[in-house]
Amino acid sequence: MKKVDIRINVNGDWYELSVSPGDRLIDVLRDQLDLTGAKEGCGEGECGSCTVNLNGQAVLSCLVLAAQADGGTILTIEGLQKGPEPHPLQKAFVSESAIQCGYCTPGMIMAANALINNKTELTENSIRKHLSNSLCRCTGYDRPVKAVLKAAKDLKEDINA
Amino acid sequence: MPESPIAVGKALQRIDSVDKVTGSAKYAADIKQENMLHAKLLRSPHAHAKVKRIDTSAAEKLAGVRAFATIFDVPKVIEYWFSLRTEEKKKQMFLRDNLVRFIGDPVVAVAADDQATADKALSLIKVEYEPLKALHDPYTAMAEKNIKIHSRGNVAFKANKVYGDIHEGFKNADIIIDNTYRTSKQKHAALEPFGTCIAHYQSNGKLTVHSSTQLPHWSRHYLAGALELPLNKVRVIKPHTGGSFGGRCGLIHGLEVMCSWLSRQTGRPVRMSFTRDEDFMATESRHPMNIKMKTGATRDGILIANEVEIVSDVGGYGTHYIGVIADCLSTGVGLYKIPNYSFTGTAVFTNKSPGGALRGYGNPQMNFAQESQIDIIAEKLRMDPLDLRLKNYRKLGEIDPVLDQEILSNGLQECLEKGAASSGWKQKRRQLPIKGAKKRGIGLSIMLHGTGAGKALPDPAAATVMINADGSVNLVTAAADEGQGNRTVLAQIASETLGIDFDKISVSETDTETTPLDCGTHGSRQAYGGGLAVRAAATEAREKLLAYASNKLGVNEDQLRIKDGAIFETTNSENIILISDLMRQIQIEDMSVCEQVIGSATGVAPAMPGYYGAIFAEVEVDIETGEVKVLKLTSAFDVGRAINPDLVEGQITGGAVMGMGFALTEDLLVQDGHILNSSFTDYRLLRTCDAPEIVPIIVESNEPTGPYGAKGIGEGCMVNVASALSNAIWHATGVRLADLPMTPESILLELAKDEMT
Repeated sequence: MKKVDIRINVNGDWYELSVSPGDRLIDVLRDQLDLTGAKEGCGEGECGSCTVNLNGQAVLSCLVLAAQADGGTILTIEGLQKGPEPHPLQKAFVSESAIQCGYCTPGMIMAANALINNKTELTENSIRKHLSNSLCRCTGYDRPVKAVLKAAKDLKEDINA
Repeated sequence: MPESPIAVGKALQRIDSVDKVTGSAKYAADIKQENMLHAKLLRSPHAHAKVKRIDTSAAEKLAGVRAFATIFDVPKVIEYWFSLRTEEKKKQMFLRDNLVRFIGDPVVAVAADDQATADKALSLIKVEYEPLKALHDPYTAMAEKNIKIHSRGNVAFKANKVYGDIHEGFKNADIIIDNTYRTSKQKHAALEPFGTCIAHYQSNGKLTVHSSTQLPHWSRHYLAGALELPLNKVRVIKPHTGGSFGGRCGLIHGLEVMCSWLSRQTGRPVRMSFTRDEDFMATESRHPMNIKMKTGATRDGILIANEVEIVSDVGGYGTHYIGVIADCLSTGVGLYKIPNYSFTGTAVFTNKSPGGALRGYGNPQMNFAQESQIDIIAEKLRMDPLDLRLKNYRKLGEIDPVLDQEILSNGLQECLEKGAASSGWKQKRRQLPIKGAKKRGIGLSIMLHGTGAGKALPDPAAATVMINADGSVNLVTAAADEGQGNRTVLAQIASETLGIDFDKISVSETDTETTPLDCGTHGSRQAYGGGLAVRAAATEAREKLLAYASNKLGVNEDQLRIKDGAIFETTNSENIILISDLMRQIQIEDMSVCEQVIGSATGVAPAMPGYYGAIFAEVEVDIETGEVKVLKLTSAFDVGRAINPDLVEGQITGGAVMGMGFALTEDLLVQDGHILNSSFTDYRLLRTCDAPEIVPIIVESNEPTGPYGAKGIGEGCMVNVASALSNAIWHATGVRLADLPMTPESILLELAKDEMT
């Protein structure tokens, strides 16, 4: 099958890749770039484990064709941390014990990252609504919601400081 | 003066959290190996059929196709580790035949250079089937005389047990409640689909399998048995796992054995990954049960008779069907002191996807029925359901007749009291339901669950603790962490026992090659059984450490204390040596010694202590739509001692929501053997916006046989959510539901019945 050449920015670096027309973004990230943080939980956009940010928006990388992402800027869990310190979302998921098996965690954090970057005011309700795209079978959701609230607050304080 | 704990009872950060938030934690599907092949399964489209012929000739011609493994060659593992006990039983574990027993049963596996080639190869394979009559429900299967799903017949297992005199019991009862309950085919729905492994059979005759199993060591036994290899030629490595909930309590049907077979033929690593659809269609689920229960009580609220008849739908293959029935018996009889108790449990094969272990084992099914019955009795006797339970539960010091052991810790009363106070039980129970379409109610239920397997199953645990020359510690254990955090808990126990700080403890990978025999993670056992092994190993290491220190410091061991990385004389803190200095001296510096301080333990836990819980559920039911909104769950659980309260609370909140799913939305719908809802679109898991306020309450009863008083939590916290919710729905609406899940349709139907009467 004919390949498609694409150019994508992933976690700050540009990549020129040759992909099959049917390759999904998750396949390219995991198989070609060895970025296995985004997980496949269902392959049909229902569980949110594969969530990454594309041009600042949360997308389900199992529903985006790699060719559609051509020219785009992608952020995955591996690129979230800038510098020696983990990102406030990562820190909050640790400090709030919002992790159990961890399989949904990268997707949930990336969904929350887009939410925080795109919205100024976050309430527990708006977080619950937004994170409803991410299934979690372990935590009962309470702690991930608290972690996102905490991270949003910490980030706001950072900006104000 | 007792020393204050350094690790036990503290909400310490789990050891894998940073790996999990940065994306660096590797799960089975994240592992790549050089020269790796990709395998796919061709599955049966028939619920019951004989495979007459498999023609792979066209697929063989496809470039990149490397090997096939068929149902004719590769044995299935059809029993669990109880059968490892004797050679005779072990032989019955492995079944090689030509029958498929459910839609999705593996028929042939193909290994190819890539996924696409494997998929293409599957489409070229021709299978000739002779369809057989499919038996879709257990009653049909029991009545059927000519068609046998397994050669020994369709009844997989039958248990009969009587305590006291059931007829006498009912004769003395003032009130008798008789109902039939039906429970659903719940799926584990772990976020990492069941079924990814990488098998590599190397030229030296050694098989290495990466698999997300809960039971690495038993999986090694199963693979060795199925492939006829010596145990020391099989290595099972468990990477990070995306949730298990009982569904990885052994090998996955058609996965590891098929994959290993393909690798043995090719000498190359082979990876097989099931899709979500395959996970739903062809891996284990909770046994649906029909539970007929007749309960008798005196008018002053003494439970005196309970007659239970369970029919459990095993599906096409068994594994845990005996244990699940046994668990119904032990949790039912164990929880209440009912002198006359008759129990019949029948596990029946049907042509459905296999039933298996799922968080709570048989307890969620049994508890839903029994706790509904108890609530109805309270209602009829106009008693507070809390008082009725307090009056009848089996108390501290009494003998559990099923397990034949004394109850040495029981915090149930405290669970009930704290839960009632926190939820405002007394006041809310008295409040009249709100007028209008939305009715509110509060209900409660209690539960008992066993920690570990006791004498029911072989339940070994082992650990090794090694103190290094710099004073750091390696803890070697096969305890499989599926996400609960049990490796963190075990590190806390090692730290506490040694007196060495938690951050100095490093926990081994979960690898059968380097770890001693451990039963695995099942039955809420790791903090207890695993913890006892770690404590024993750490105690041995501590004793050796103190013996060396005693020699160095010139005082007896009982005069020494360990603190902050040093050992010193209790009455003279200047007589001190750093553990790192002492260890370097004896391991390296003093060439006449060169001994590493190592403590090891292997053995079995002395008991199967019960842990207890009370859940108070508040609901709002819209009687126009039938919709149930869960407002709040207050879950009070007696865990003996919370080694890590943060992780215990994590279990309780997570279990609460999984229990809500079992109660309200989750059920695999099977029609003529076809699963109709094999996706997250159609199988409704609860999401963030469905989760209510959850108040976890930890009660510590200090189990004397447990490490630092600990017993279990993992399963129990989901067990009685459904019964608490059902009892709350009754309180809100007056409707009593006997079937799970309790859907809006079923509530409307019952409300309509009420109106007609």
